[in-house]
Amino acid sequence: MVDGKRGLRPHWRQVLGTFSALGEGGLAEKAQRLNAAFDDDGVGGILQSPNRQAWRCDPLPLPIVASEFAALTEGLAQRAELMEAILADVYGKQTLLAEGHLPPAMVFANDRFVRACHTNRPRHPGHRFIDFYAADLIRGPDGQWQVVADRTIGAAGIAYALENRDVLAREVPEVFRGVQMRPLRPFFEVWQTALIQLGQERARVARFQQAQFQSQSQLQFAGLVAPPAAGPGIAMLTGGTRNRHWFEHMMLARELSCALVEGGDLTVRGGVVFLKTLKGLQRVDVLVNRMDPRHLDPLELESGRAGGVTGLMDASRSSSIHISNDPGAGMAEAPALAAWLPSLAMTLLGEPLKVGSVPTLWLGDPASRDLAMGDLGRWQIRSATNRHTDAMNVPAMAPQARTELLRDIAERPWRYAAVARMAPSVVPCIEDGRMEPRPVLLRVYLVFDGQTWHAMDGGLARVVESGARSEGKVSSGDRVAKDVWVLLDDGGTMHAVPQPPTPPVAIKRTTADLPSRVADNMFWLGRYVERLEGSARLVRATLARLSRSDIMPHEMVELAALSRSLAKARLIPAESVAVAGSVSALMSALLGSLRESATNPGSIADLVGEVAHLTDMVRDRLTGDMYAAYTGALRGISQHARRVHGQAEGIASVMTEIMRFSASFAGLAAENMVRGGGWLFLELGRRMERAVAVCTQVGYALEQPPSRVEAALKLVLELCDSLITYRTRYLTVLQPAPVLDLVLADEGNPRGLAFQLLAIANLLEQIAGPGDPVLSNVVSEIADDVQFMVQRVADAPDQAVAAAALPEVLHRHAAAIADLSDRVTRHYFALLPATQTFGTGEETPPLRGAA
Amino acid sequence: MRYRVEHVSTFAYAGQVDLASHMVHLLPRPLPYQTVIADALIADPAAGRQSDALDHFGNRVSWLFLDVPHPQFSVTLRAEVEVEFPAPPDADRTPAWERVATARAGGADSWQAAEFCFQSPMVAADRDVAAYVAQSFPAGRRVLVGVVDLLARIRKDFRFQSGVTTIATPVSKVFAQKAGVCQDFSHMMISGLRSLGIPARYVSGYIRTKPPPGQQRRRGADQSHAWVSVWCGPEFGWIDVDPTNNLIVRDEHVVLGWGRDYGDLSPVRGVILGGGRHSLSVSVDLEAV
Repeated sequence: MVDGKRGLRPHWRQVLGTFSALGEGGLAEKAQRLNAAFDDDGVGGILQSPNRQAWRCDPLPLPIVASEFAALTEGLAQRAELMEAILADVYGKQTLLAEGHLPPAMVFANDRFVRACHTNRPRHPGHRFIDFYAADLIRGPDGQWQVVADRTIGAAGIAYALENRDVLAREVPEVFRGVQMRPLRPFFEVWQTALIQLGQERARVARFQQAQFQSQSQLQFAGLVAPPAAGPGIAMLTGGTRNRHWFEHMMLARELSCALVEGGDLTVRGGVVFLKTLKGLQRVDVLVNRMDPRHLDPLELESGRAGGVTGLMDASRSSSIHISNDPGAGMAEAPALAAWLPSLAMTLLGEPLKVGSVPTLWLGDPASRDLAMGDLGRWQIRSATNRHTDAMNVPAMAPQARTELLRDIAERPWRYAAVARMAPSVVPCIEDGRMEPRPVLLRVYLVFDGQTWHAMDGGLARVVESGARSEGKVSSGDRVAKDVWVLLDDGGTMHAVPQPPTPPVAIKRTTADLPSRVADNMFWLGRYVERLEGSARLVRATLARLSRSDIMPHEMVELAALSRSLAKARLIPAESVAVAGSVSALMSALLGSLRESATNPGSIADLVGEVAHLTDMVRDRLTGDMYAAYTGALRGISQHARRVHGQAEGIASVMTEIMRFSASFAGLAAENMVRGGGWLFLELGRRMERAVAVCTQVGYALEQPPSRVEAALKLVLELCDSLITYRTRYLTVLQPAPVLDLVLADEGNPRGLAFQLLAIANLLEQIAGPGDPVLSNVVSEIADDVQFMVQRVADAPDQAVAAAALPEVLHRHAAAIADLSDRVTRHYFALLPATQTFGTGEETPPLRGAA
Repeated sequence: MRYRVEHVSTFAYAGQVDLASHMVHLLPRPLPYQTVIADALIADPAAGRQSDALDHFGNRVSWLFLDVPHPQFSVTLRAEVEVEFPAPPDADRTPAWERVATARAGGADSWQAAEFCFQSPMVAADRDVAAYVAQSFPAGRRVLVGVVDLLARIRKDFRFQSGVTTIATPVSKVFAQKAGVCQDFSHMMISGLRSLGIPARYVSGYIRTKPPPGQQRRRGADQSHAWVSVWCGPEFGWIDVDPTNNLIVRDEHVVLGWGRDYGDLSPVRGVILGGGRHSLSVSVDLEAV
């Protein structure tokens, strides 16, 4: 912030001027507004949990003048190119090793050196090890930027940078007034164009390979392939929603218009990678990897928890797919590599390194070792090859740990690097409503477009705790970020990025390329939202009866039926089912139904958690408004449910909140989602769940002696929210046939069974197309049977007796619809039996061996 | 010596396997002292796609991808190989082990050997093993003299016993129980040599076995074998030794390939979709012709 003569750098003046004008109260208010905005955007996940904390952005940006930034990024582009050259050598001819420019330990004792990527064969001409690069930088005491870490495997944080800028512009627009800065978005356009170009190159290879494979009498395979897409297939591979960077992956996939996939969504056939979609397999030509590359292919790399894609390395070797960045690229992140970069730049590029690193020594070299060990106050010790371990401040270590470290350094010095201890320069940050000086770390991102490197005009600055290791990891929790502004110099002009010509896009009305997993998640989201609502209705109906001081005999009948339904839904343990005279057990069970416990796995808390998780998983398919509405409501419900202690009114108000959520969920989905793709499955899940619930609840309600059927009928109408309709039609006469007609057979009653069945049949037809009537036929059979069943009650001499005989049939229908749901799952969603790996020593039989 | 090899691995599954991918290290490696006269890799059912390449270490590797449902899978190697290792040098002429141990720093003629003096996933450094092996290498001793001494000690101190270890058994446990099979002895010896800085690699292959006295040779009763190759400096290169049998390899061994440890050349590695539980049966037959 200050120049070498302790003067304020000029570009700070303008920025600070705006903020100083706000005063202390104004600063605090801005900070709070930002925090609330980030929570609404769900950057840290919907429901807060210990490993996902809120993302925080300082309202005060980090300004950098464009001319300075240009010089910096020119140097970083050179560094990126140097990394590429190092990787190309190490995974190819290895002349750097043969000629002694790099010691063997840096490669062979580096667990990010992926041997499966090494080949002497020529690669595809378009092959590159890295086309995405990032550097972590600090400004040293001399004002020069120095690299703390090179990131050659998908560095995180770029979507957070974008989010910071968007939220800042939305929430505190006044700070942007009068400031000329470069926009962030052109970077993503360059990136996307580069990916499309790469994809077009690879698609040629992949098409040939696919045709060859299909012609080998693989007719069965040919039937699985979807009609070819217009453009190249680009997918981003993520470790999944449990990954702490899920939010980033989702944002990034949206910016780059590529499919966001998990390992299980992809399959490799005939050396070609395909995405499993509802309409069949679709080729993937470029894979932007955001998974740990060491687990990318369980067949030849380490098998990891996240799964990976079996056969991906084979596909990559055959050039049918471009993986960005190459799975082997992580070896260049070795901290000790910085020690050789100046000489490697001369050897490989023939020019001096433009942006240097923080001074680094490799302890495998005796002279360097003596230097570092002789002055441990100046140096931090860290792993030579593993970026993921912490730097150690030796003088401050506990004596025993220090002795062990020094012994290991003496025995195996090649495993260690010494990095100069550096205090990053400080910049003002807003803390408790005041400006405080804090050290910051800057991350800058670059992408290769096939010709040159382009930097994002901005970046992610993070406020580092003083004393913490200087190279932090970006996580959605641990620290405060700052937006980075690249300010135009006086008289500078904005250069628009030339738009690449885009071929006209074929008009599409459907989204057949919906990944199967997304359809699966939508289906279950529909089911769980409905289950949550149904549970809330049950709990509320039960509460209403329990809270009366005197429980009438007919209410006892209703309570018995209700508690059977509650137990069936696993909201309460089976032993709490109300028996005559004891309702206190039921009351306490109801209270328990709010919270997670082993005895009621269907608790409201479990259901809310499941809905939140599924909402997160399909987030990239929801509009921002929908997402914000859902998450706000879910957070409220979850907080209120936790606060209820024993009062019936408290529970009831949570239930009302849930019903309100469910209604707004349905409304927003109906008004905002395009009919087709995800919406069909969301709706299908909801209708199926409701159909099962109507059958089950009516079944339990009618499990009465014929003399008590009238009480049961009233309950049936209440649970199906059909009392008002019934009264308008029949006034106060309560008879079995009209009640059952309304809740089971009337296709016009959206809470009734017939309505659900009709909707299910229609949805299945739309999903499958007219050619595949198998599943919808099952539905029509059930629907016919339901009409017949109600007609039989109407025709019976004693309707009460006929109605009392229905539960068995209703439970059978509930089972049939549940079975249909399973068949839908099997038919449409990637049915993924667990893969097994063998031959890797994890589960091998005892060895026999030859003597 | 000329040998005919047949190595059959059969996987039987409880259910149908829908998709299977296998990475196979079974084709013998051609070497100056080993001529591969003929070889064939047969998969049953046949693979829908097969890729062949040389791996990082220069071994022959094949990938087999099956996409027809199958209840059983077998892969068979048939090969005819002529093998004659060069006679070992005079052990007293080999360099002092300390000079060999400088390979770690690289250099024009030993940088490739350097790869084999660091820890690897299945060969951890172990202080007990290091101390045991170090006894054979007092200061200044010629490297091959030390190795020969070590071979004899392993033979004397360790018991060959099948079924007491798996491929995942750590070196420290093999050392503690003083028993194991060829893979275990090889991993242990490699671990100790690397602790001294002497490059050592794991060799996978077959060994000629003799039937018990008075009995007929039984077909398919042979086993895969493993031994150790030790770097003896640029002048003498790699020398193969067999810690299980206390000998320097000459003409009774057939080489498939080498790596840092077993994990680099697992004969058949696979990922299957479906299938439930599986069982593996292996039959190896090595016949001199």
